Amino acid sequence: MKIVVFITQTQDTEARIKVGSSGDSIDAEGMKWIMNPYDEFAVEEAIRTKEAYGGEVVLITAGPQRASQALLQGLAMGADSAVHISDEALGETVDSLVISKLVASELGNVEGVDLIFTGMKIIDEESVQVGIQIAEELGIAHLALVSKVIDVKPDEKKLVCQKEIDGGSVSVEVSLPALITCPDAMNEPRYASVPNIMKAKRKPMKTVSLDDVDFGSLGISRDAVGKSGAKIKTVSLEVPEVQRKLRIIKGSDETTVKGDEIAESARELVKLLRDDAKVI
Amino acid sequence: MSSEIWVVADIKADGQIRKVTFEVLSEARRKLGGSVCAVLLGSGVSDRASELAGYGAEKIYVVDNPNLRDFNPDGYVKALCELIKKHSPAVVLSGNTAFAEDYIPRVASGVGSGLAMDCVDIGMTDDGRLRIKRYSHSSRAISTQEFNGDGSAMIATVRPNSFKEEGSAGAGQVVNEDAGITDADIRIKVLEMKTKESDRPELTEAERVVSGGRGLASEENFNHIYDLADLLGAAAGATRAAVDAGYCPYDMQVGQTGKAVSPVLYVAVAISGSVQHFSGMGSSKVIVSINKDPEAPIFAKSDYGICGDLFQVLPPLTEELKKALSE
Ligand SMILES: Cc1cc2nc3c(=O)[nH]c(=O)nc-3n(C[C@H](O)[C@H](O)[C@H](O)COP(=O)(O)OP(=O)(O)OC[C@H]3O[C@@H](n4cnc5c(N)ncnc54)[C@H](O)[C@@H]3O)c2cc1C
Ligand SMILES: Cc1cc2nc3c(=O)[nH]c(=O)nc-3n(C[C@H](O)[C@H](O)[C@H](O)COP(=O)(O)OP(=O)(O)OC[C@H]3O[C@@H](n4cnc5c(N)ncnc54)[C@H](O)[C@@H]3O)c2cc1C
Repeated sequence: MKIVVFITQTQDTEARIKVGSSGDSIDAEGMKWIMNPYDEFAVEEAIRTKEAYGGEVVLITAGPQRASQALLQGLAMGADSAVHISDEALGETVDSLVISKLVASELGNVEGVDLIFTGMKIIDEESVQVGIQIAEELGIAHLALVSKVIDVKPDEKKLVCQKEIDGGSVSVEVSLPALITCPDAMNEPRYASVPNIMKAKRKPMKTVSLDDVDFGSLGISRDAVGKSGAKIKTVSLEVPEVQRKLRIIKGSDETTVKGDEIAESARELVKLLRDDAKVI
Repeated sequence: MSSEIWVVADIKADGQIRKVTFEVLSEARRKLGGSVCAVLLGSGVSDRASELAGYGAEKIYVVDNPNLRDFNPDGYVKALCELIKKHSPAVVLSGNTAFAEDYIPRVASGVGSGLAMDCVDIGMTDDGRLRIKRYSHSSRAISTQEFNGDGSAMIATVRPNSFKEEGSAGAGQVVNEDAGITDADIRIKVLEMKTKESDRPELTEAERVVSGGRGLASEENFNHIYDLADLLGAAAGATRAAVDAGYCPYDMQVGQTGKAVSPVLYVAVAISGSVQHFSGMGSSKVIVSINKDPEAPIFAKSDYGICGDLFQVLPPLTEELKKALSE
């Protein structure tokens, strides 16, 4: 089977973040970049599928030079080769539509591809769209929010998955090739060990420049890559301080409430909710 | 481009229109100007059109087709793309539901539009471009974004509970559309659908939410969460750690992967307060937490809290709440 995973590098949202001087983005100074966590689940699922059915796993990303680190991590996890569409302009906000066209074009046509995995969203921009937009560009079926791949039938070119929907779940069947977007909890991603990262450096990684992209055939202009050509622009961005009342009732020793303090704390909390917050 | 503002109705498994649809219709009327219209897609949904007129829809575009069933995105992508291409609305809005996440992005690709997901505010610039606010960076940042006004439909989904619903009679002219959906458009075959009926409100719509974390320690103990939720008329939620441990079903998960909720009251029981969980409930109006660890990060993000063991605190708290609610 030929399995493709679209991955991206993202800002570590657990790290400290502050607004940059331009006022419309997060300060890149000292920023920590990681493989998008949901893409780790996607890579893991791809490798497991390869281990079960044979074949190869190809990673594709569009991003600035630093994004090659994410590819290296994926290769160290067990992917076979990688393609990096590289340009510094891809480090700015780029429309999801443009990203999906760019990365889909790298596959050319889907002939020969069986399965495609993407993350459900990236944790910094959280646009929640590139994955299934790639499916639209390629003209294939997509399955979003797949919690479990139930059965892959390479010979019949069919796939059965369980997918979460509002208020329940469905099991669905599609013909291959198909694209799956991965939430967390689908699997436990393996760790990219240091020796494996060393070995990964010898795996094939192809770099594609934007100069090599035939924008005419994608129906977009090259100017569409980058802030000025974006259909949606961020005009301002804030990282609000948490503004909460912080009335935390603790025990007399500054830890948990004990003994009589317990019933007293319950009375106090209810009073606060009624008279102060006015929510009951 | 016409000046029409479209609101696509979100339908539940039981065929009812979701509250968020009425919220978005109301806010569109208040904030966006233009002619506010609704789009009703589904199978056997035609007779719901009048409800949309009750929230000010001037026109209601209806596609009623058996291929629009089982929350199968394929038919919906085709239907909405065809309608947008035919009528060129200025703006297309929908609630941000799991189903919307499953098909709206494909529609944006199909018609070459920009798309902003999960917006918490909508408005218009003086020159008629949609301006929205949305969270990013695991909901730690909030940005104001504007469409560039290139003439393509401006598409956005809106977080439930962001706006007040307000009835207002609209002309409600029904426009039946065919959209040319055929069996061949349906790539996904639904083998089985499992939906649960619950008497509790839905998480994303609820005014109050009670959630439990890993500290509940068992499926049985989750009854404490359900009991408290029922007492408050609240929806029941959970963290990923609780879902992973099998204490409760996946569709209760609140957070970056799970549902984003913005109730008036959020009660977090035995939840540490990870960035990923906070991402889904940080916009709640009042946050209350119960945790036995005085250092738990959730406390720094709460309005009120008790540092105590849930098993000791919940019984007297339930009694006090009962008293307060019956007064
Ligand atoms: C200061 C700054 C720096 C940025 N740097 C980068 C960067 O280095 N790399 C980057 O990709 N984006 C970067 N972005 C984000 C970029 O602007 C787009 O928002 C982003 O690539 C599109 O992702 P999304 O939020 O729409 O993804 P979503 O729709 O949330 O992503 C869903 C899935 O689509 C796939 N996917 C998304 N983007 C790509 C991609 N570029 N290549 C391959 N697969 C993808 C992944 O599988 C992902 O899990 C940056 C943004 C800012 C503000
Ligand atoms: C990509 C990604 C996506 C994620 N998405 C989500 C998401 O959507 N939603 C989500 O919730 N998480 C998500 N997570 C997981 C998240 O990082 C945390 O692991 C999770 O939220 C922790 O859940 P918890 O607070 O229940 O558990 P813990 O962190 O283990 O906290 C349990 C808390 O219970 C307290 N406690 C224990 N016993 C008692 C008692 N008897 N009485 C009172 N207090 C008690 C403890 O003091 C502790 O604070 C995601 C992680 C990743 C990497």
